[in-house]
Amino acid sequence: MLDAEARVRGEVAYAVDLELPDMLVAAVLRSPIPHGRIVELEASEAISLPGVVAVLTAADFDRPGGPSLLYGAIIPDQPVVAKDRVRYVGEPVAVVAAVDHAAAQAALAAIQVEYEEEPATYDPLQAMNSGAPAIHADHPDNLFVHGKLRHGDVDRGFGEADEVIEETYTSPLAQQASLEPHTAVARWQADRLTIWTGAQAPYTVRGALQRIFGVQPEDVRVIVPPLGGGFGGKGHVRIEPLVAAVARKTGGRPVKLSLSRAEEFATVTKHPVVIKIKTGFRRDGSLTARQVTLYWGGGAYADASPGLIRASVPRAVGPYRISAVQVDAFGVYTNLPPSAAYRGAMSSQTTWAYESHMDSIAARLGIDPLEFRERNMLHSGESFCTGETMHDVHFSECLRAAAAGLGWDRPKTRDSGRLCRGRGLAVMMKSTIPRSVSECRLALDADGVLTLYTSTVEMGQGAHTALAQIASEAVGVELEKVRIVGPDTAVTPYDATTSASRSTSMMGGAILDAAERLKDRLREAAAPIVEVEPTALVIAGGEIYDPASAEDRLSYAETLERSDLKSIEVAGKHSSQGGLDPETGQGVATPHWHQGAGACEVEVDIETGKVRVLRYHSASFAGRVVNPSLARLQNDGNVIFGMGPALLEEMAFDQGQPVNPNLSDYMLPSILDAPEELGSELLESEAAEFHGIGEMTLPPVAPAIANAVFDAVGVRIRDLPITSERVLRAIKEGPSG
Amino acid sequence: MIEFRLNGNPQALDVDPTRPLLEVLRDDLGLRSVREGCGIGMCGACTVLIDDRAISSCLTLAGQVQGRQILTVEGLAGEGRLHPVQQAFLDHAAFQCAFCTPGFILATLALLKEEPAPDEATIKTHLAGNLCRCGSYRNILEGVRAAAEGQVLVEGGAQ
Repeated sequence: MLDAEARVRGEVAYAVDLELPDMLVAAVLRSPIPHGRIVELEASEAISLPGVVAVLTAADFDRPGGPSLLYGAIIPDQPVVAKDRVRYVGEPVAVVAAVDHAAAQAALAAIQVEYEEEPATYDPLQAMNSGAPAIHADHPDNLFVHGKLRHGDVDRGFGEADEVIEETYTSPLAQQASLEPHTAVARWQADRLTIWTGAQAPYTVRGALQRIFGVQPEDVRVIVPPLGGGFGGKGHVRIEPLVAAVARKTGGRPVKLSLSRAEEFATVTKHPVVIKIKTGFRRDGSLTARQVTLYWGGGAYADASPGLIRASVPRAVGPYRISAVQVDAFGVYTNLPPSAAYRGAMSSQTTWAYESHMDSIAARLGIDPLEFRERNMLHSGESFCTGETMHDVHFSECLRAAAAGLGWDRPKTRDSGRLCRGRGLAVMMKSTIPRSVSECRLALDADGVLTLYTSTVEMGQGAHTALAQIASEAVGVELEKVRIVGPDTAVTPYDATTSASRSTSMMGGAILDAAERLKDRLREAAAPIVEVEPTALVIAGGEIYDPASAEDRLSYAETLERSDLKSIEVAGKHSSQGGLDPETGQGVATPHWHQGAGACEVEVDIETGKVRVLRYHSASFAGRVVNPSLARLQNDGNVIFGMGPALLEEMAFDQGQPVNPNLSDYMLPSILDAPEELGSELLESEAAEFHGIGEMTLPPVAPAIANAVFDAVGVRIRDLPITSERVLRAIKEGPSG
Repeated sequence: MIEFRLNGNPQALDVDPTRPLLEVLRDDLGLRSVREGCGIGMCGACTVLIDDRAISSCLTLAGQVQGRQILTVEGLAGEGRLHPVQQAFLDHAAFQCAFCTPGFILATLALLKEEPAPDEATIKTHLAGNLCRCGSYRNILEGVRAAAEGQVLVEGGAQ
């Protein structure tokens, strides 16, 4: 990584490290109840306490010249601070800014709130029932999105099947749990806001703040330092409105808000889901129809969920040839914290269902799980259920690479006593964002230094390093001479987001575009010096020359110097196309499909139910690998991260109250949870475009493990995480089909 | 007045002895490599060495370090040169976001002082109290092995 030395020296400055002169600290008063009315809120005493500079409540909003209370990525349903009603435990009710933490806490204690509790609902299926309390008055059935896909005649397909299997899979709430908590510092100077925040989408944050405060885009400056992890939890607007709104009341003093670990658990979660999946198949192993119905828990506010839930629709099917497909994905409000992307977003949950289900079918047919998948796998040139023609797809190669790494063909290792061994595999598909844009600027100066201005966020994935390499290679400047500036919305151009594993492909594409423009400008500058037409000049190896007379070879620095140019600066842009019809799910889901697979061997202790993953081999399709070391870290990191939601992670609630909002009761994978043998393959293809690899080997982890557990002890686990308790109970209940 | 040695240098601080050491190191002394991840001693991001033992500074009170030697990553590198454990982590790309990295490096140093030639199980047990959410454990293990094999132990560490 470019700043590797700073990383081992502990010198990377994250948002939590930012200190400004006169800076105040913010603290948030949060709802203690899951659902109810705010009868009275009395904050006047708090502001009079020593050291307290500002107190923010809903009364500060929707007044002439004041900020707007409601915001939201698609549905403006979320108040910056609760007004009249609270909808989950931990919802912000008031924010204070004070000279130190003690003063801020004293101020929170001085705010009196009287609540009147009302019935609440937590489970997406129950929340859709007619008797459930409505969480938002304008959504009486708690439904905020219904994504659909219709392909072929599913009734006929099920009729033509020799057999039909229907199963229900669940995946619980989990927490992204980046080690650096959400942190932001806001400062107002007159009517202009500067905010430093650990966010994955600086321009999304800017847009939201601009709308909340009714100012022009250029009046909001969003600066993003390196993140101590993101994983989707920092993918949208989170704490920025809270800190920006309270900072507006401090007379220009900057305010910092940094969440505690418990607050992290009340701020954002992975989408919980119930997935009903039904497949018709023939005895030869072909699939005649598939119907998938997904009930996504969105939490109390829609946030980015409408888009994510629509994106889950084509991701729910699996990379298989099925002539009739129907998908319905419901997004449902519940009295829990808002749900958001969690590394492998939506695909982790859908892959859990369809890849476990594929093994259930394979077992019924008595066909080897790899062979069964191969018979149905989609290849390039074939049509997917969205109607799009698959291109550059290598699902089969990914799966076979993972299986070969594990030694799928080799005889099974023998069980020993109470320890039973089994093997499993899984493959995944994930769309990235259609109709999104990435822009960049490249500046080449007379010293030969190339500066890349980019809003891509560095969050440990090594994006800045990979992008610098792409720029270095495309322009022909040594990597040591590439500088990166950004993200800072006052300086770096638009980028949709650093998520959905899109940066290498999208920002990489923008850099390739800019590099071509830069080379055009270099040819134009060199033409009068060499005395030929610009189009006759060739650029290679950092030199410009006329191939007809190889004598005059100009370096970039020479070209600039002799043209009397201090620098050449160009812009680049890359856009993705596509989109699906909301009623039919037909169209183009993604500019290209993300692809990954995994195969593992587990050991199940039949007396305790404990599952140990002994060996794990993953593979992803990278198209073209930019940095092998970083790419491998993504493959391995996904597998290790994936051990969490597969085996350990579940946010537990009791009547809406979080039970385990800390890193003691909520377990993250440690080095002891990493498989003893961890293999990784990165597949490339000739002249392929860059493919994202930030998530692809994660979604297969849980189903590969569950399939291995089935292979080991003959029980099918359908609810995550695969805890010892669940496995032991299933073993006691006897083999399942 | 609390007196201790920090990265080899004497320190005398007039602070409330019941304040967490993490807060004193970060906020009062500006040591930004000492980071809070969980606040309850579970993640290891705030690890410091106190008399060569890896300790969670979030659970240590300032008064407990009276007369002790504290080492943070700021005290590791010499003149323009990385400490061998840092170098091993760098060589093996044993980090991603690196929020956890100072803690891992110090936990590794404590391990190698206690057990210069640890086997894999010992390394894993010793580092189980440090979490890397990005999932770089394979590279971390390789880095620690390389550090152990290179006999990187530097006398005192802080000098």
